[in-house]
Amino acid sequence: METEEQARNRFQSELEFIQCLANPNYLNFLAQRGFLRERPFINYLKYLLYWKEPEYAKFLKYPHCLHMLELLQYEHFRKELVNAQCAKFIDEQQLLHWQHYSRKRTRLQQALAEQQQQQPQQPPHGNAAAK
Amino acid sequence: MAAAAEKPTKERLLSVLDDLEVLSRELIEMLSLSRSQKLPQPGEDVQVLELLVQRDREFQELMEVAQQQGSVHQEMQLLEKEVEKRDSDIQQLQKQLKEAEHILATAVYQAKEKLKSIDKARKGSISSEEIIKYAHRISASNAVCAPLNWVPGDPRRPYPTDLEMRSGMLGHMANMPTNGVNGHLPGDALAAGRLPDVLTPHYPWQSSDVSVGMLPPHHGNDFGLEPPGHNKENEDDVEAMSTDSSSSSSDSD
Repeated sequence: METEEQARNRFQSELEFIQCLANPNYLNFLAQRGFLRERPFINYLKYLLYWKEPEYAKFLKYPHCLHMLELLQYEHFRKELVNAQCAKFIDEQQLLHWQHYSRKRTRLQQALAEQQQQQPQQPPHGNAAAK
Repeated sequence: MAAAAEKPTKERLLSVLDDLEVLSRELIEMLSLSRSQKLPQPGEDVQVLELLVQRDREFQELMEVAQQQGSVHQEMQLLEKEVEKRDSDIQQLQKQLKEAEHILATAVYQAKEKLKSIDKARKGSISSEEIIKYAHRISASNAVCAPLNWVPGDPRRPYPTDLEMRSGMLGHMANMPTNGVNGHLPGDALAAGRLPDVLTPHYPWQSSDVSVGMLPPHHGNDFGLEPPGHNKENEDDVEAMSTDSSSSSSDSD
């Protein structure tokens, strides 16, 4: 039986560890050293699924880790991670996804800016007509 | 009452008719004979007459019986028709009942499904305020949305970088036993564990202040992962990683 302090430390370390799983390079690192083949580690990954519950998930700053954790439950994914190209591909896709929303936002801002550029031209026409 | 052993009425009627025919023929023969010659047997014509009368009586009785049988048969037919009608009524009701049962069964099933989904939704309900707070946390820190001024070469990432990982609790746990294998980090005082705790950068993803009351779920040591084993894994973690993530530049359009 662990003390409360030990449990809190364990919470902290598990919180850090699961978020590290969002890093594809770290996953590649783990795969190349054979951790992803060890049965205790695989069981540990299954145990970590409790972070999906809302009362735990609210502490995750990097939510990508949950998706990675789900993928890690599959043996095929764990095997593939040994390849560096696989990790690189995941990294690229992750970065592109990460930039998706900010790109969308800049596009929206551009569209809004264009709209506002057009608007100042209209009131002069309106005034001319009123006169 | 062996009714089956009795001859059917039709047969009896026919046999009586035959008898009548025979007797009347005999009588007529006798009468024709008595024209030409005297009666050979004086009592025979009376006998034949009596037989004739008897047969006629039998015939009349049989006709009555036949009539009664006819009316009974008619009644039977009427009743059969009634029975048929009731039968079809019952079948109709049966069909309707089956339909009703089917409809009710589907209604009950759908209601149960609805209740299940209501339960599920209720279980997963979270206050909107919490969700908004969380959404703010993960987006303001650029964890799920890239900073607007991000260019390739920027070390920020949607996951904890090497530096962040090493400066966390796990990194420190692994640093306790000094290992001289760190070829990449001779100058990193942090890795050598000589920096006092005050100066260690404390990243918000480690959130020790927020999670004060939070405890992880209990687990038996089924997966055989004792803390010493955990530390061993982190020792390898602290060693230089094969690819340093902050130096990789990705082409983003």
